[in-house]
Amino acid sequence: MSVIIVPCSGIGKSYGTVTREAAYLVVDELRPDDTRIVPLSLLVLGDTEAQAAVRDAQVITLDGCKLACATVNVSQAGGAAAREFTVLDCYRRHKDMKPQGIAELNEGGLALARALAEEVAQAAAELEGGHHA
Amino acid sequence: MPSLPQRKVGIVACSGEEMAEGTVTRLAALKVLEELRPSDTVTICLPLFLAGGEGDRAFAKFYPTIAVDGCEKRCAARATELYSNTPAVSIVLDDVLAERGLARPQGLRRLTPESQPVVDALAEAIAAEVDNLMASRWSRAEGKVLEPETPAKVSSAGCACGSGIPVTRVQVDGRAVEIMALDPILEMAYGQGLRAATDGGERKKPGFFRETRFLEPPPQLMDTVRLYNTFPAEDDAYYTEAVRIAWQGFCAAKEQIHG
Repeated sequence: MSVIIVPCSGIGKSYGTVTREAAYLVVDELRPDDTRIVPLSLLVLGDTEAQAAVRDAQVITLDGCKLACATVNVSQAGGAAAREFTVLDCYRRHKDMKPQGIAELNEGGLALARALAEEVAQAAAELEGGHHA
Repeated sequence: MPSLPQRKVGIVACSGEEMAEGTVTRLAALKVLEELRPSDTVTICLPLFLAGGEGDRAFAKFYPTIAVDGCEKRCAARATELYSNTPAVSIVLDDVLAERGLARPQGLRRLTPESQPVVDALAEAIAAEVDNLMASRWSRAEGKVLEPETPAKVSSAGCACGSGIPVTRVQVDGRAVEIMALDPILEMAYGQGLRAATDGGERKKPGFFRETRFLEPPPQLMDTVRLYNTFPAEDDAYYTEAVRIAWQGFCAAKEQIHG
């Protein structure tokens, strides 16, 4: 069973773009076989298929700000995030990777997204390991 | 004197991550915010309607919003309506693709270079709606656009593509249609009509009949308009009616100026 990745994809700050970029990195490059994205817009709308997906699978949320839209919306949909990541926490661990830009991230933002993606991929591997155990 | 909040239009993009169309809505919204209409717009995170506070949910009541969706599920429009208020305008990318004859965008994390015109076209469509909303009256009590006190059926602005070609927007049965180069065409037709009328001796006004009734547009007017515009066959009647309305408004304005 795939681990579900839910990025906040916030549109007002660079951090939202970092979550989107990191989510794509995980599902496209790092863990393409056992992860997939569920769009947050579908959860907000109350799409039954998306809601069922986050209720029935292990979910990792990626949030760009303290409002934690991804985590809150997964919870509202009846799911529970198995792991919650925030860009700010990741940035505190990588102060040299300052993200800038929203439509297009700068080098720091892209590097931060990759660092976050690697942490998420590691978490996905652990969740999948637990699932198979 | 109290400082009143500046009038803004909110843009809610679906940003759907699983399809290229979602990425297009996001990039188009950002293009409007950062480049095309930076002082008139704000963007709103769609999930904030659920995760945020009452203030976030009430946004669409206090400000007109444009929902921009990548597919017919219309997550942005429906969620905005569900949690806040009916969007003032709802744009679905499919409609823009059909209107402009553009190919479906490709790429998720990175759009293909061929998809950039789709982002540009959608951004132009959003910007045009921003202009309409900024020009309209918004009721904060009712959370909807009010009918204009003096109905303005015809408005003109420069084309968003930056070509300098004026674009005239005409309201027909509540629907806005855009016609390129209409103003200079009307000016030319009016001038030609004026010359034809004065050739016979007594000077007559080409647009009016005895100051009280409009004449129909000259028959060649639509042919000239079609030189600069391509209209979908099924919408031809709309555009013909739009040109008729614009012609009558144009003539009326001329008569007011010239007496």
